[in-house]
Amino acid sequence: MASLVPCPHCGPRPKEEFTIKGAALPRPAPTADPAEWFDYVYLRDNPRGSYAEYWHHTAGCRRWLVVSRDTITHQVAACRDAAAQGHAA
Amino acid sequence: MPDLRPFPALAARKPLASSRIRLSALPEGTILQMIAGPQTPGPVDGLERLAAKTGLALRAISPGQWLLVGDRPTPYPQACRLLAALEPHASGIDQSHGRVRLHLEGPMAATVLSKGTAVDLHPSAFAPGHTAATLVGHVSVHLTRLDAEAFEITVLRGFAEALWDDLALMCAEFL
Repeated sequence: MASLVPCPHCGPRPKEEFTIKGAALPRPAPTADPAEWFDYVYLRDNPRGSYAEYWHHTAGCRRWLVVSRDTITHQVAACRDAAAQGHAA
Repeated sequence: MPDLRPFPALAARKPLASSRIRLSALPEGTILQMIAGPQTPGPVDGLERLAAKTGLALRAISPGQWLLVGDRPTPYPQACRLLAALEPHASGIDQSHGRVRLHLEGPMAATVLSKGTAVDLHPSAFAPGHTAATLVGHVSVHLTRLDAEAFEITVLRGFAEALWDDLALMCAEFL
């Protein structure tokens, strides 16, 4: 269940300790087309299934995390620090 | 200069005590918050030496963040020297006025705390010396297990009375 989020720094914590920012998407280049930026800022897919989001551990370590979860089963597949090398932002 | 006297946040709250649970306010001594720079691998060695030298206890908050706490106030010039010694690897700020420490002790301490927090407080998961930043009810706190039956709860000063009242309610069945 997504109600227990495995924070890489604090261990399993309830979702009440977190603030969800939204989809963790690749950021376009500063010179990218305005349409691409509009898409990045405003348009979301709302997928049925796996989804990667930025979660902030507000009431814990206060680190930004990337939580990969399933929107149907609420199963959390992975949770890592957003500053960690090689995250698929 | 006007007369500046200490005014403890929990001065109006009397310690609660029974054979099973004791809740009291710790002296408003020293609380320094330390933050490591993003490029610093970890100044923990220096911090531990510093803590030992100054008689303060080191408490981890999160990656690259620590509290240095003690029961006695640290005079301003001494605190400045202490914080300057860590530069440029870490920066510190005096939070002695900004946070209050509570002491919860007794065989029922973990049972009482687990009414308010989701952190696993079993001794195998949360041994003496272990710390956690978490929620007690809706209030952000910093928990430290001092020994098997004693916890230190650090809270923002403005929330101290509210947290005390919540903890008093959680303790009520054991008083």
